[in-house]
Amino acid sequence: MRIPIRMIDIATTFFWTFLIAFSVSAVYSVKDIHFDFGQPQIEVTPDNKIIFSQLMSITNKGFYNIGSFNISTEVADKEGFTITRGFTFTLVINKNDTVTVTHNMTIDINDLLQQNKNYLFNDTELKIYEKVGLSIAEVIPVQGSANFSMPWGAPLYNFTLGNAEYTPYNLTHLKVVVPISFENHAFFDLVGKIQIQMYNSINIVVGKGQTNVEAHHNSPYNGHLEFYISIGGITAIGHFEVYFLTTLFNYGPLVIPYG
Amino acid sequence: MADANNDSKKKIRNFTFKALKATVKGVLFYGIYFALWMYLAPISQMIPGLQQMVETFVIVYIFLIIVGELTSKTVFQYFFNMVKALFVIGYLIFSLKNGIFGLTFQNIRLTVDFRLFLVIAMLLSLLGLAKSVFQAINYMNEKAEYTRI
Repeated sequence: MRIPIRMIDIATTFFWTFLIAFSVSAVYSVKDIHFDFGQPQIEVTPDNKIIFSQLMSITNKGFYNIGSFNISTEVADKEGFTITRGFTFTLVINKNDTVTVTHNMTIDINDLLQQNKNYLFNDTELKIYEKVGLSIAEVIPVQGSANFSMPWGAPLYNFTLGNAEYTPYNLTHLKVVVPISFENHAFFDLVGKIQIQMYNSINIVVGKGQTNVEAHHNSPYNGHLEFYISIGGITAIGHFEVYFLTTLFNYGPLVIPYG
Repeated sequence: MADANNDSKKKIRNFTFKALKATVKGVLFYGIYFALWMYLAPISQMIPGLQQMVETFVIVYIFLIIVGELTSKTVFQYFFNMVKALFVIGYLIFSLKNGIFGLTFQNIRLTVDFRLFLVIAMLLSLLGLAKSVFQAINYMNEKAEYTRI
């Protein structure tokens, strides 16, 4: 019985030594993994989608390869509705190697507005859930996750139509000037057109017009829109229907009563 | 009278030798821990309580090594070896919970999956436990044979 006991003894000693040496060196290797983050980039695609890109460089100077490196990001609104997701995966980062990855997230503003038009007119907060995972020495999975909030600035914050001014144009028509004001709190410039249709009390279009708009991000916009209406169709009360046609999104009608 | 005196001297000499061996083993084990800890020290700053957790393990393990060594050539040596193996299993389960080690720092949560390590360590500890049981059986067998002769 002494020989089997001796064999068990040798085997356990060998495997314990190997396990402890491997675990300690693998954990020690973590301090030799370096992450460098580039400046986040924002670009607009030809199909009017916003792409957030984050360049990231991972340098592995540890003793072992890193396996299954992945980053996932989920952006949700305050109610928990998912706005966008991004996922980046790298199978292996070899030791003494540097890998550069680009983590992309795409936001389709038109899709976003179909869910909630408040993103256009009200500032809010977006919740971001970030998860980074990797396998140390390709066998010990490690995951880091974080929750944080990011402010969302509305591109048409405090959008208001001022009191319309009516001036006679000819015997049958009046010239209408409608002041427009808003603040572009968004991270992008707003470039496009605003169209207005004026309806009388019996829902008949009495006039319409459009104006070009260019509002830089984080700046107020004050302008006006001119159009002509027939004197016969005008009533004391009615409503305006406002349409926004921009490079990033189309939205309308926004109904604003007058009178 | 002279025989009793000799026997007493022999016992003291044996105990001194055992104590010396136990001290050497304990110091050697602590030396290995000290050398390995130098590698883990940068990580331990990030994990609160890790040093205390490992130190508790080392203290109890060295205690069991010393006691096991002092009771060598008796059946209690194997008993303490079994306790040592069970302590390792219990300690791993207690400290690593289900093998997933979590740490929260402000709003960042870090999770390390030690399940593979835990399974291998438990299997090795069970092997150590089995070895101690075999050694105890072997010791009792040899003792019985010796008594019969």
